[in-house]
Amino acid sequence: MAPPVSTRPAASAAGAPAPPPGRRRRAPLLRAGTRRRALPWLLLAPALAVIAALLLFPLGRVLWLSVQDYGLDNVVSGRPDYIGLDNYAQVLGDRYLWTVALPNTVVFAAVAVAGTVVLGTLVALLLAELRPLVRTVVLGCVLVAWAMPAVSGTYVWVWIFDVDGGLVRQGLEAAGVVGPEGYNWFTDRLAFYAIAALNVIHHGFPFVAVTVLAGLLTVPRELHEAALLDGAGAWQRFWNVTVPTIRPVFAVVTILSTIWDFKVFAQVYLMPGGSGGNREVLNLGVWSYMQSFGQQSYGLGAAIAVLLTLMLLGITVAYLRALFRDEELR
Amino acid sequence: MTARPRGARGAAAAAARWAAVAAVLAFTLFPAYFMVVSAVSERPRSGTDSLLPTSFTLDNFRYVLQEAGFLGYLGNSLAVAALTVAGSSLLALLAAVAVARFRFRLRTTVLIMVLTVQMVPLEALVIPLFLQVRDLRMLNSLLGLSVVYIALALPFAIWMLRGFAAAVPAEVEEAAYIDGASWGRMFWSVLFPLVAPGLVATGIFSFITAWNEFILALTFMNEADRYTVAVGLRQFFGQYTTDWGAVMAASTVITLPVMVFFLIVQRGLVAGLVQGAVKG
Repeated sequence: MAPPVSTRPAASAAGAPAPPPGRRRRAPLLRAGTRRRALPWLLLAPALAVIAALLLFPLGRVLWLSVQDYGLDNVVSGRPDYIGLDNYAQVLGDRYLWTVALPNTVVFAAVAVAGTVVLGTLVALLLAELRPLVRTVVLGCVLVAWAMPAVSGTYVWVWIFDVDGGLVRQGLEAAGVVGPEGYNWFTDRLAFYAIAALNVIHHGFPFVAVTVLAGLLTVPRELHEAALLDGAGAWQRFWNVTVPTIRPVFAVVTILSTIWDFKVFAQVYLMPGGSGGNREVLNLGVWSYMQSFGQQSYGLGAAIAVLLTLMLLGITVAYLRALFRDEELR
Repeated sequence: MTARPRGARGAAAAAARWAAVAAVLAFTLFPAYFMVVSAVSERPRSGTDSLLPTSFTLDNFRYVLQEAGFLGYLGNSLAVAALTVAGSSLLALLAAVAVARFRFRLRTTVLIMVLTVQMVPLEALVIPLFLQVRDLRMLNSLLGLSVVYIALALPFAIWMLRGFAAAVPAEVEEAAYIDGASWGRMFWSVLFPLVAPGLVATGIFSFITAWNEFILALTFMNEADRYTVAVGLRQFFGQYTTDWGAVMAASTVITLPVMVFFLIVQRGLVAGLVQGAVKG
């Protein structure tokens, strides 16, 4: 790097990687070249420090905890017991993981994502057909579902499906499908997750609809008109014109939905039996939480959490690829 | 012009479209509608009681806010959310300006880290954070919870503000330099006013994050007078019977501020989430 030359600004500008055109003109400030180079890091420092201390460090610590036998006495004494990969062996060797927790997580996420993306896309296609004023009104209503906090939204669905006095129970009883003795669908794993999926799809589809709509509005009209001239039907036009054009949008909404649906917590935990009362309905996140804070075996809970994190990391890599395939970061 | 001849088909398509709109509206609005109607009904014991508003009462709200201590939870949540908004907005503004207005080594790495860290499940963070907060004797501390929420809200806030900061044309910045402004002066007098709308949107997003968060509040706050609204809601669940009128009234109270804020920021929220995927 050239020594600070105050008389020839061009010399030091050549060393810097492609400065924006305007900066070259400010000859007096160039002496402060090093300061300018430190400035972005100075601005970033507080945010990076907070992220490092409260997100990255804990992430490292959960990894470290997952190779410890860390129970209540360790919490009190602060002394860990290193046990290597025993926690992982215990989790991976547990039938419960393979028959209950993992299917509850993966199958549920697959169903919820498929439902969210399909419903969201259909709503987006519908919105694109509407006149602008009507579209704005409908869009505003759709957003109500998105804005509902997960906690209160879950309680509303639990109330709708309440076993004793819920709307669905009474409707089914009136229709003669369910007898007066009733039926507790929250104890049934499939029904439990069907209700959870309804909750998650209802909460998640507006994001897909809004995003896909934004994508649809960027598809040039000429493409559709050309396809129409070639005699393409509505489905062909959607599949051969719209989908390829906004493929990146679909990639992003699918992967983001997958990430969100893999780590649903409140939506399961707050349902009857979801907080440990019924082991059949736990997913990986709730299982990890129950092992840690219910059974006080933080090491085992950490190992489950690490497995969940690794799965999400894999999806995230796919997400970043989809995001950066077409455009470089500006 | 080509649409004219197919009158009957056009009418059928329009009817189908309106039916679809009605179905979408019914599906999206029903839970919110049902929540509000249940909240203003007199002791709804069954769902059909509150399908249509037959009675109107604010007793549920009065009970929830005054007798059940929900007012206190609201205060806690507001304090935590305010601290979160202030902290995350300030830090995100500085960081977003750094990544949007400067080209420096590792810039892409920082951006990818900011993106990736958002995917980390809270279930993985809650265990070490609980131990950390416990060691610092900050359990049941609203300040401690706020600091953690600042970290949670920060990555998305940076990502979203970055778009706003990058949208300010370079010429505006240059003009300030030509007028002899220092970088700090340019930041306050030029960049800050132009990014301020983005800051409002980001702040609201941080508010919603703090307001809705459940798992950390559940774990850190085990004294009833320290509950936030999301955790306080569980209070209304009895062992055998649940007072659904009270639960729905409390849910309505929680939902309202989020809904208002949400409608204000939805455009920026979507733009922030899908930046790089959608054009613009």
